Amino acid sequence: MNRILVLILFCIGTFSLQAQNFSVSGTVDEADTGLPLPGVNIILKNTTNGVVTDFDGNYTINNITAGDVLVFSYVGFLPQEITVGENQTEINVILKTDSAALDEVVVIGYGTQQKKDITGAVSVVSNKTIEQLNPIKVEQALQGTAAGVNVTPSSGAPGAGININIRGIASNSENGPLVLIDGYQGDLNTINPNDIESISILKDAQAAIYGIAGANGVVLVSTKSGKKNTAPTIQYDAYVGVQETSRELPLLNATEYGLLLNESYANNGQALPFPNVSELGRGTDFQEEVFDTSPIMSHNLTLNGGSEKVTYSFGVSHLDQEGVIGAKKSDFQRSTARFNIGVDISDAFTFTGNTIYTSIDRRSINENGLGSVLFNALNIPPTFGVDQEDVDGTLGNEIINPLSQIENTFNDYNLNKFNGSFSLDYMPIDELTFTSRIGYSLSTSKGKDFAPIIDYGPGKVFNNVRSTVNQNRINDNSYTYDLFGTYENTFDETHHLTGTAGMTVIRNWGDGLYATGYDVPNNSWDFADISLTTGTNDGLNNSAYKYDIRKLSFFGRLQYDYKGKYLFSGMLRRDASTRFGPENRVGYFPSATAGWILSEEYFLSDSNVISFLKLRGSFGILGNDEAGGAEFYRSLLNGEATYVLDGNLVNGTALGRIANPASGWEEAEKTNIGIDLRLLNNRIDISADVFREDRKDLLVAGIPVSGIFGGGAPGSGAPTINAGTTRNEGLEFAINYKENFGDDIRVGVGYNATFLRNEVTEVNGTEFLPGGQFGVGQPQPARFQEGFPIGYFYGYETDGIFQNQAEVDAHPSQETLGAAASPGDIRYVDTNGDGVINVDDRTNIGDPIPTATMGLNLNFSYKNFDFTAYTYASLGNDMVRNYERNQPNVNRHAYYLERWTGPGTSNEVPRVTTGATSNVAFSDFYVEDASYARIQNVQIGYSLPETFLEKTGINRLRIYTSVQNLYTFTNYKGFDPSASTGEAIGGGIDYGFYPVPRIFLAGLNLNF
Amino acid sequence: MKRYNNIFNKMLLLLLLAFSFGCTEDYLDETEEYTIDSENYFNSEEDYYNAMIGVYDILQSTYVNVLLGEIASDNTLSGGESANDVIGFQQVDEMTHTPVNDNLDDVWDWNFAGVQRANYVLEFQDKTDFEGREMIIAEVRFLRAYFTFELVKWFGPIPIKGDERFVLGDENSVPRASTEEVYAQIESDLQFAIENLNYTAPETGRATKGAAMALLGKAHLYQEEFDEAANVLTDLIENGPYALADFDTLFLQEGENNEESVFEVQYTGEEGAGFDCLPCSEGNVAVGFQGIRNYSGPVFEPGFSFNVPTQEAYDMFTEDDIRREPSILDIEAWAAETGATYAEGYKHTGYFNRKYLPRENDNVGDANLTQPNNYRSIRYADVLLMAAEALNRGGIDDSEARTYLNEVRERAGLDGVDAAGNALTEIIYEERRKELVGEGHRFFDLVRTGRAADNIEGFTAGKNELFPIPLEEIEFSQGNWEQNPGY
Repeated sequence: MNRILVLILFCIGTFSLQAQNFSVSGTVDEADTGLPLPGVNIILKNTTNGVVTDFDGNYTINNITAGDVLVFSYVGFLPQEITVGENQTEINVILKTDSAALDEVVVIGYGTQQKKDITGAVSVVSNKTIEQLNPIKVEQALQGTAAGVNVTPSSGAPGAGININIRGIASNSENGPLVLIDGYQGDLNTINPNDIESISILKDAQAAIYGIAGANGVVLVSTKSGKKNTAPTIQYDAYVGVQETSRELPLLNATEYGLLLNESYANNGQALPFPNVSELGRGTDFQEEVFDTSPIMSHNLTLNGGSEKVTYSFGVSHLDQEGVIGAKKSDFQRSTARFNIGVDISDAFTFTGNTIYTSIDRRSINENGLGSVLFNALNIPPTFGVDQEDVDGTLGNEIINPLSQIENTFNDYNLNKFNGSFSLDYMPIDELTFTSRIGYSLSTSKGKDFAPIIDYGPGKVFNNVRSTVNQNRINDNSYTYDLFGTYENTFDETHHLTGTAGMTVIRNWGDGLYATGYDVPNNSWDFADISLTTGTNDGLNNSAYKYDIRKLSFFGRLQYDYKGKYLFSGMLRRDASTRFGPENRVGYFPSATAGWILSEEYFLSDSNVISFLKLRGSFGILGNDEAGGAEFYRSLLNGEATYVLDGNLVNGTALGRIANPASGWEEAEKTNIGIDLRLLNNRIDISADVFREDRKDLLVAGIPVSGIFGGGAPGSGAPTINAGTTRNEGLEFAINYKENFGDDIRVGVGYNATFLRNEVTEVNGTEFLPGGQFGVGQPQPARFQEGFPIGYFYGYETDGIFQNQAEVDAHPSQETLGAAASPGDIRYVDTNGDGVINVDDRTNIGDPIPTATMGLNLNFSYKNFDFTAYTYASLGNDMVRNYERNQPNVNRHAYYLERWTGPGTSNEVPRVTTGATSNVAFSDFYVEDASYARIQNVQIGYSLPETFLEKTGINRLRIYTSVQNLYTFTNYKGFDPSASTGEAIGGGIDYGFYPVPRIFLAGLNLNF
Repeated sequence: MKRYNNIFNKMLLLLLLAFSFGCTEDYLDETEEYTIDSENYFNSEEDYYNAMIGVYDILQSTYVNVLLGEIASDNTLSGGESANDVIGFQQVDEMTHTPVNDNLDDVWDWNFAGVQRANYVLEFQDKTDFEGREMIIAEVRFLRAYFTFELVKWFGPIPIKGDERFVLGDENSVPRASTEEVYAQIESDLQFAIENLNYTAPETGRATKGAAMALLGKAHLYQEEFDEAANVLTDLIENGPYALADFDTLFLQEGENNEESVFEVQYTGEEGAGFDCLPCSEGNVAVGFQGIRNYSGPVFEPGFSFNVPTQEAYDMFTEDDIRREPSILDIEAWAAETGATYAEGYKHTGYFNRKYLPRENDNVGDANLTQPNNYRSIRYADVLLMAAEALNRGGIDDSEARTYLNEVRERAGLDGVDAAGNALTEIIYEERRKELVGEGHRFFDLVRTGRAADNIEGFTAGKNELFPIPLEEIEFSQGNWEQNPGY
């Protein structure tokens, strides 16, 4: 009885409490569009009682009494405070965009900054862009979306590497940017694009906060995390698609080929190989045979949410892509799982932790080389049957049937990786935060390839008389530990000061083990494992390596602004890297930036046209310690030391490559002047920058030195010396336009362009560094040389075709190029005017670096329909056509139909002959302008009306269809003008690049 | 709760600070790698032995000294395929060589590589002690003397740095030491070797006391220090284990490392080689280079027909001299006798350097570069002739000089001589040429005795005694090293 009484009393008490308080609900809309605004924070002022609007902008907040003040706030909008009236249970709010504050927060390294306060050159790519582009790999999302960032795929093969260059190529070796994921050193190559919240790209001296590693620019990736006080939301994104090659080259068919070969033999006085051409027909189209239509599929599931003190985010994904060449032998699968948690441990301590697990499985075919699958598909004659081998040896040593080649390709690569970070923030007072953070990356990979016993015909280099299986295990690990403090305060309401100081420790370490097994049972992939092989071999059958590179850095940064109008920052970093000898380990990297927000001044503050205007500038010195990967200050004992004692070979040890203890980091001096301008109530957003980078003390490998150092000994060699200087200068421009027409139509247009000039300004100790390959046995075609762009092509300039003997006679002799000229041969220019054509006449005939790159991106939505299109263009990049084997019996590109066959027939394409000619010398005949414009992505989506979804519990359901790499406008004859091996010297040489696939997708986005 | 929070906060703060300690610069010195670095080596006897093998390895590259030295002399012509075939050889043959000569550059680079590898061991000679260390150090010092002697023969004054490696920057600061200083180091090295080595080596091919004595005698003779030369050479003759062997088989496989061999550079055909790295070959590259062009027939293998003996070199032998046939091959007579075929190369003379011709064997490819013929660097016959020359030219004892000379003549099937004084000197010179033709000594013998200008066509006195320092070396030194006179 007593119990019941207590219960009743309790209930009454509760009831009486509720009687005083009530709930308030309503909708928050965006002023410009009138559309509901999800994610708006509503907090009862001076309490922790708060909620967030749902996807439809609705909210309900409990325990309100009359007279309470509700604060409505959302990033990028002006906050509103509303006092709740007596029994006012419904409050609808309209938030206006905060035009003055533009307080989009940008990650800038060891901290964040409001976008309006940024004084460096930073590009930001948000998860919205990533969602629209649907990239398979993250790097693709940077192409055409961030000014100054050039993205070149090394191949269109599934999972192939992608090169990023920020503001050009400055080094003769490593040009990729430093990538930091949530503050720790990471790798864009393996991350799931859907896990990314935003990407900041630091392009100028502001990156000096990263000191020795920042010279090539810095890419800062923030992964997704939950938001406080939000209900759990589940997002599911998926697509399926089919892929096909974006290009097939026009080649000669069997009849055309037979006629050409007959002509070529006849021109050299040989018997016709195809006396009866009429029987040949069209023959086999080997491109059609090697290219497949293949599937792609992706699933992505994300769960986000948060309570008052805890935020969480969880994601899993799976991607499966097959190749468009040899689909059964080339594919890419990526599975990821991600977990992120943030906890307010106490008032002063906050903990965040995240972990990403990635598993990658990849198989590939031989590509971009002499004898790669596409090289063979282009060169094998159409008179061959699909299963016919070159048993007569008519095609030389390299060219084999590409279909047999695919069939006999066996390999597998598997990567497992954990990366993530743990971070503890300590805020003893509001103005001061200490952060202690450790980021880690642990990966193991294994690779296997099997070479079966195979005979492709006599003398083929791919023949294999003994089956082997190569296996490897590689561990790559790193951690980045940061400890830093940030003090931020405003004095007298005008002096705003932020100071940051701290230290960073980076360690990269790992090892690799390689082994080979001989005599695979049954000559079969099913048995291809060293555990089953029994064969022995005299040579060394295994090898291994181990590395351990460490960096220790201290840094400080001071940011100051006066009334938010005049902005200054200065930073200094001291780095020590074990890539250098103890004497030269330490480097100091200073930089300074400044900005002036003119629109805050009285003369502009009332302008109706200019919403925002900022001038900014930066100067600083950054470093680069990566040049080829190995340490160069010390000599390893890997020289050759073999002698004969007692009649037997004896192996000893000897000094390897000459050490250069004086070698130091490369230094980049970066200057940037920029302007940010927003017009017409922020509808137009313009950003423009001019920049210059002088990269000094380039670490150049193989600089000749005096013989007294023993470099002539076997296994020794020239040292790596700081011996070059390059300059990149250019202009970046980006404009975005946003406009809403009524409630139903929204339009957005973005355009960005980068203009770049690149030059080597100094090389010491040698005249030039060569690189790349052209043809077989020809001099290296690319050079790094003072006064020229990095990696320019060095060869003969041509001047049309000799039409008759008189023209030949009137021209200097070309005999030293291989043979005396005949009518129909290429006429080379006597550039030095010495009356003879020889090696001294070679000159600059192009370079692979684009002079301009640009992106044009469109967004359009009408009611529930949305449309996006992303395009990219690259102008002035040259490419070497190197997929044509110089051999009498190979097939040819269709442009040979326009060849010279008599006076006046062609001034472009030389005659064909099996005899010796000088037409094969490396000349501008083989260098093409590979400028192109590509429609990268077109997407049309439809979001189902809410009325349909209400009953299902689904917040949003969008279906879409898209096409990637829809079309490429170019005059380039090869497969893909966008591809490059990424080498500084020798990039842009095309052995038959694996073209990027054209992908047709259908997908859906689902939110609960 | 508040109190609890405070303790909690302090603990976390402690944890946070704990991370920041221990991160000093020491962290950078603790890297864990399995690389063997040049600076942390020499921790055991095996390390020293292995590094010594590295020094021996460079001996194989001295094939270029022998080949080019012989071409420079009046014994042979350059040969090859055409006037443009190895242009550096052609120019030296015609005494038109300049500081731009790839092959002279090889002589400089490769012999300095030997010096550098030797100095690497000597720099760390005191790091680890073990029984037998002196012997390894003695061999290394012998090898340094060997390479240094070659360099001083070819280039005269050269930079030397004692028991230390050259490091980048030395080319601008270490001067070319005078010939006297260079020889002083050679003599000191060899003296150390003599004191610490035995007459028999622990393994065939390694340097011995006898080799060091012979080289020391040679170094003295080159400086015309006849007393010192005579002393060490007669000591060697009286106390050493050497004897003259059968000349017919002396240069065949069976004659390798025999009782006449005082020091011999070891080669084998068991490992392949390519043109991209000639010093990497374990074979005698010179042998393939002087093989008979497009040869097809018994006994020999083909080669590139460089270094072809002149008619005069053939004619200096009398009919009864048993050395003529094993030394010089008359290809026309040989072809007539055996039916062998061949092609005539550039400057074809009809003769080949038979001592070092490629002979049929199963060496691996590129077979032109992996011929296994050992180079008989110092033969006992050479020691006898050097001793005779020192005794005679130093006015010490003509009779003893004749005894040694006649030993060599008698082995060749010739009668003894009884000349004295200058007449004896001339006979010794002549005998030296005949005994050692094709072995790379002649040019330097002519130079050191002042007879080069009279015998070598195109030789300019006051200039061609030394070869030019390679042009790039002059440039690297930025004025630190001056070019040899006349170039």
